[in-house]
Amino acid sequence: MGSDAVTQGQELPLTALKDGETGIVVSINPGREGCGRGWGFEKRLMDMGLTPGAEVVVVKSAPFHGPIEVIVRGSRLALGRGMAERIFVVRKKRA
Amino acid sequence: MPKTKLTIALAGNANVGKSVIFNQLTGLHQHIGNWPGKTVERAEGTLHFKGYTIDIIDLPGIYSLSTYSLEELVSRKYVAVERPDLVINVVDASVLERNLFFTLQLIELETPMIIALNQMDIAKSKGIRIDTRELENLLGIPVMPTVAVKGIGIFELSEKAVEMIENGKKAKPLEVRYGEEVELRIAKITKMVEKIQFWYPPRYVAVKLLEGDEEISREIQRIDPRIASAVEDLAAEIEQFHGHSCPTVITSERYEIAGRIARQVQELVSPTHPPLEERIHNLTTHKILGYPIMVASLLLIFCFIFVFGNFTSELLGNFFHSWESLFTNLFGTGITQKLIWGGVIEGLIAGITVALPYIAPFYIILYILENSGYLSRIAFLMDNAMHKIGLHGKAFIPIMLGFGCNVPACLGCRIMETKRERLLAAFVTTLVPCAARTVIILGLVGQFLGIQWALALYMVNLLVVLFLGRLAFKILPGEPTALIMEMHAYRAPHLKTVLKQTWFRLAEFIKIAFPLIIVGSLTLRIAEVAGLLDPIATVLSPVTVVWLGLPAIAGITLIFGVLRKELTLIMLATFLGTTNFAQVLTPVQMIVFTLVAMFYIPCIATIAALAKEFGWKRALSITIFEIVFAISIGGIALRILTPLI
Repeated sequence: MGSDAVTQGQELPLTALKDGETGIVVSINPGREGCGRGWGFEKRLMDMGLTPGAEVVVVKSAPFHGPIEVIVRGSRLALGRGMAERIFVVRKKRA
Repeated sequence: MPKTKLTIALAGNANVGKSVIFNQLTGLHQHIGNWPGKTVERAEGTLHFKGYTIDIIDLPGIYSLSTYSLEELVSRKYVAVERPDLVINVVDASVLERNLFFTLQLIELETPMIIALNQMDIAKSKGIRIDTRELENLLGIPVMPTVAVKGIGIFELSEKAVEMIENGKKAKPLEVRYGEEVELRIAKITKMVEKIQFWYPPRYVAVKLLEGDEEISREIQRIDPRIASAVEDLAAEIEQFHGHSCPTVITSERYEIAGRIARQVQELVSPTHPPLEERIHNLTTHKILGYPIMVASLLLIFCFIFVFGNFTSELLGNFFHSWESLFTNLFGTGITQKLIWGGVIEGLIAGITVALPYIAPFYIILYILENSGYLSRIAFLMDNAMHKIGLHGKAFIPIMLGFGCNVPACLGCRIMETKRERLLAAFVTTLVPCAARTVIILGLVGQFLGIQWALALYMVNLLVVLFLGRLAFKILPGEPTALIMEMHAYRAPHLKTVLKQTWFRLAEFIKIAFPLIIVGSLTLRIAEVAGLLDPIATVLSPVTVVWLGLPAIAGITLIFGVLRKELTLIMLATFLGTTNFAQVLTPVQMIVFTLVAMFYIPCIATIAALAKEFGWKRALSITIFEIVFAISIGGIALRILTPLI
């Protein structure tokens, strides 16, 4: 499941990537009880393709701490910022 | 004897053109209802093809078959338990990997299926070339390329579907295999599950148990707790091995399979078109420009609907009312006739003059925006603002609808993920000034006190929405969800599908709203004929006259306004005997009256919609709350404004 490809680099929240940067998903931190577990946001994110090992391109963030736009597995997604902060990635160096 | 009645289900992600294919297959033979006992829509239609009568079911658009949403659960149960003869999995060729993730789950459900590889044109313009033969080989399932909006490939798809059913279970779909250490444990659980009776295939149950599926885990726990505890141990082993939770491991591995297949069958070439779609996307989601574009588009739409609606509504109203003299000539002017015309027929007219002029064009535009992809961009831009009232970006869509009419807005709250969010969003939408309230605001305050006062009232409304929305968010138990939304490629909407969706929504509106409007109208007319209006006005006068400082007759008009809010203004004119309100009302009275009319109650049709979605108890609680709130705010405004103006 590709997790061996991400040994180098520091784990960052997805929101720490700049526009245009690519990250590889390491983990999704479901957080404390009552932080999204009830509606299964972790599973929903994974169902949309954000599984460990997946490449995520951050396209841009909406102003005033709005949602971020990413491209994952060929699809364009909008993710709420609070949630994106709990997706951890390592930055992928540009080839 | 060969079967002549078949059932085919359409399944797939949202926004892959599933409903267009559904429309292409079924034409006019459709009806839309709800799944029994659920607020999930069920679209069903009939296709006559090669001597077969085929029942086509359009399942909701979903990304997975887990149990976090009602739509997913309903779809899974339908496919597994009711066993359609065939499932057509509609796949978006331009987002192949993500779509195949869903395909794999259907395969795991062991359902007979074929694939409609749709939106081949969009894939092509994105520079994605797909080897459908190879895809067919890898999946072991027939793959039919289609461009549904242009009708390309639909006939071949139907032919293939029938052929598949006729040939029986000849196709041998791919076996979805996970990593060795996972497979080992799946095999163990499968063995145990084979011994019990269950409505899903044993291997599927095993996989889903390891994935922590709520429905299946609960059922297994009930049937045989030993299996449940064995699963727990095995899942823990997998977790230890991989360092991720077991559901994560399985979902990732399934995605890896989907990704591998996608990479094997697709070739990326440079796009055939200059990426115009991309440019429009960048512009409409631009940090700065996105907002003026959104505001301008929405203003344009509302102005159009308002002007068009007003004009048509009046035209239709006059047209129907011109029959009144014919009616009285034919049937006389007795009490029964008065009740029939004034109650039933006037109610009907009231309904029609809302539905056709305002709601129909509104839905048409809404669906064009939705199908083209712009609504998801608006949701993206508004996500942050919606968080102020504890909702996320998608909630802006029903709120926007609310400016046209609160009824579709309430029904539109279904796009929210959880029941709590639906209720919260619906509550907020009932506070949004719909077209009818705009008539009052502009027709009374706007015309007689000036546009600045009308704008001030809109501001007050916005503040109330923010304040009450936030309050409800704090009070309602449960946790907020966040935005996870696909923004699919911009595309030209399919007009026939848009019209059909509009028609079904309109029919739904008529079904929900008309009975109550007519009953309400008849009741009020009976009260009028029985001479109850003046006594009612007197009974209400402590509130209307003493607390709100309005003429006693305003109480009656506010009651009639429950049917349709702009009736408050029309009746006020009738009772006061003039449309020049400046002669009979003071400026403060106008403001207080408008404020109360804005908030005092959702109209009767909205109450019906609320009741349908959330039950009568909640609908009535919201209604009563808003009455109390409106009367309070009206009285407070009177006391603040009187010394000022």
